[in-house]
Amino acid sequence: MRYLRTRYLAFVCIVSVMLGVATLIVVNSVMSGFSNKLRDRLHGVLSDVILDTDNFAGFREPPDEIAKRILASPAGSHIEVMAPTVEVVATIQFQFRGMNVVKPVKLTGVNADVQSKVGGFGQFISGQKHLAVPSFDLSPEALRRFARNIEENAGLDEMMRDKAALDAEKPSESDFLGKGPRIQMPLDVPVNIPAPDLPQFEAPKPIGIFVGHSLAHFRYKNPETGLTEEIAALKPGDSVLVATLAADEMRPVWGTFVVADYFKSDMSEYDSQFVYMSLADLQRLRRMGDRVSHLQIKLKDVTPKSFTFVKANVTDEIQKLFRPYEVRAATWEEHQGPLLAAIDVERGILNLLLFMIVGVAGFSILAIFTMIVSEKIRDIGIMKSLGASSRGVMGIFVWYAVLLGFVGCSLGTVLGLGITYNINAIEKGITVLTGAELFPRDIYYFDKIPTNVESLTVILVNIGAMSIAIASSLIPAYRAARLRPIQALRFE
Amino acid sequence: MLLVENLFKTYRRNVDVVKVLSGVNLTVEDGEFLSIVGASGSGKSTLLHLMGTLDTPDSGAIYLDGRRIDQLSNTQRDILRNRTFGYVFQFYHLLPELSAYENVLMPAFIRESTLGWLKTRRQWRKRADELFERVGLSHRKTHKPREMSGGEMQRAAIARSLLQNPRVLLADEPTGNLDARNGDQIVQLLRNLNKDDGVSIVMVTHNLDIVTATDRVVKLVGGRVAEEPAALHFTPRLLSAVG
Repeated sequence: MRYLRTRYLAFVCIVSVMLGVATLIVVNSVMSGFSNKLRDRLHGVLSDVILDTDNFAGFREPPDEIAKRILASPAGSHIEVMAPTVEVVATIQFQFRGMNVVKPVKLTGVNADVQSKVGGFGQFISGQKHLAVPSFDLSPEALRRFARNIEENAGLDEMMRDKAALDAEKPSESDFLGKGPRIQMPLDVPVNIPAPDLPQFEAPKPIGIFVGHSLAHFRYKNPETGLTEEIAALKPGDSVLVATLAADEMRPVWGTFVVADYFKSDMSEYDSQFVYMSLADLQRLRRMGDRVSHLQIKLKDVTPKSFTFVKANVTDEIQKLFRPYEVRAATWEEHQGPLLAAIDVERGILNLLLFMIVGVAGFSILAIFTMIVSEKIRDIGIMKSLGASSRGVMGIFVWYAVLLGFVGCSLGTVLGLGITYNINAIEKGITVLTGAELFPRDIYYFDKIPTNVESLTVILVNIGAMSIAIASSLIPAYRAARLRPIQALRFE
Repeated sequence: MLLVENLFKTYRRNVDVVKVLSGVNLTVEDGEFLSIVGASGSGKSTLLHLMGTLDTPDSGAIYLDGRRIDQLSNTQRDILRNRTFGYVFQFYHLLPELSAYENVLMPAFIRESTLGWLKTRRQWRKRADELFERVGLSHRKTHKPREMSGGEMQRAAIARSLLQNPRVLLADEPTGNLDARNGDQIVQLLRNLNKDDGVSIVMVTHNLDIVTATDRVVKLVGGRVAEEPAALHFTPRLLSAVG
């Protein structure tokens, strides 16, 4: 073995294996970290299984009846808790520095206590993370701001004046409605739902809602500092107008609500769209009695959470209880289908690219081994003239590859894990050195680079690298072994 | 007895065809010290390589003690090279990474499995020690080839070729890279080995001065054995027979 100590080339070979292994481990760990974190976040707001309906008025049956039927079914044994919700498209409208801001939102009515049990709802409410159950009630500070707003007569009145002005110059119906049967828009809908319950001249009791963090904030790049900054357009205590559609007939309904807190899941898609209010308020606003449109189901901890198991044992079982066009049961993965598919596609492409890199690395190892063999070809001739068999010569080179591969893999694994576990410190160091931010935190909302070391991946990477090292040594070793002794001796 | 019968060998390099041997017949008796002389390109080295199964002839046959050896399987030829033949080359061909001692033991490394080596290493080392003594190189055992002179390297190579008590020693220009004094020492060493151990030696050389130490001289001309042996009259055996 010792006669093969070609120090320089062996070193190059070990470094090449080491770098390959380390890169694969780091990339896979970061990729898997991102993917897991994203999955967690996608799942975070959603429960394990979701029941919904296309009926705009919600399920035909009251939620208690539905829950009873589900619990009595075979799926019932897997269910920990069910939370009824109403989800509906809506707009919110508010005043910000003289602008009348209107944004489309996804309005969800929830029972805060049950909702906190089925998903990560409670932990996403910015100011109430310490509470087990978040509350729609306004904090004292928010109440003070609300009272001050009322005093200053800001916001809402102005908005109403704008609306009156718009109503005055309303276009004639034929301008945009076209022909055919028309939906009549009743004009006598109450502007403010809670108002009728309250004495006329007292400040109306504010109804709190949670507004997505990105809905309530403007982000901009400060030209002086170059950093991305946020201004709160809505603060707890500010009023917003929420408009949606009634459940009983096609007509708009709206009401004034007060921001109680922000909803911040760190998924920009959710934070820029979600508005939560209490289930009872939304049911009242939409005139839907005790009906709900969704049922969020959390499975027991002991139930396997794999998609195939949940699909076969829970959603399919629940689906049997209802007409498929009336009620749809789906896992959270099915609900997030397109996004998860996008992640999978991304992962697949990245793996393909990595595989190509591995291919390049494999060929460089092949080249190095070819060089080692040609450097040693006279020695091979000497060995063969002394009676070494072809198999023996080949064996020496293959063992050499195993040895180099093993050393390279071991060092690469250590290096790769070292980088993975310290990736945030390394990233910071590079940012300080180069001034370029490698990982812009405001894009991903992650405060640090997520990593997830999967031991199976590490083992597979090592096995792969060893196989490539051995495979790339086989061809040059075979060529060397096949030489007649005199050819090898005369080789220059 | 090593018998060469009507041996042909042609080398092809692209379109050029070089006829190296065209019908060589030769007999090497047991215990004989034979030298083969000839001009450069006369095929003497090729003949030696073919006799030692380092290469295969195009046609013709080579027999060792009546057994044909040029058509043996690779494995059998490996064994033959390892145990029956000993080789000494012009450029010594020692493995540069190993010490002189390890180089000499190399045929044993190749012969033995790991387990076999552990069992037999004492005997092999004893044998190597003897050989170092014999070639006068005991003080150089731990040296690498690059730390030794040409004559020393050649003596180490001879010790290596003798490790397994070969039947035939094949020496290809063993003095080709040495000065006259060192060359004489090497030839003297071979002569003594031949006399004391009875090992047959076939030596290829173009140096006519050293052939006087050998029993018989064969001259190759144009790939064939010349009719008239070149310097037959000067060989010691003949001289002693006459004397």
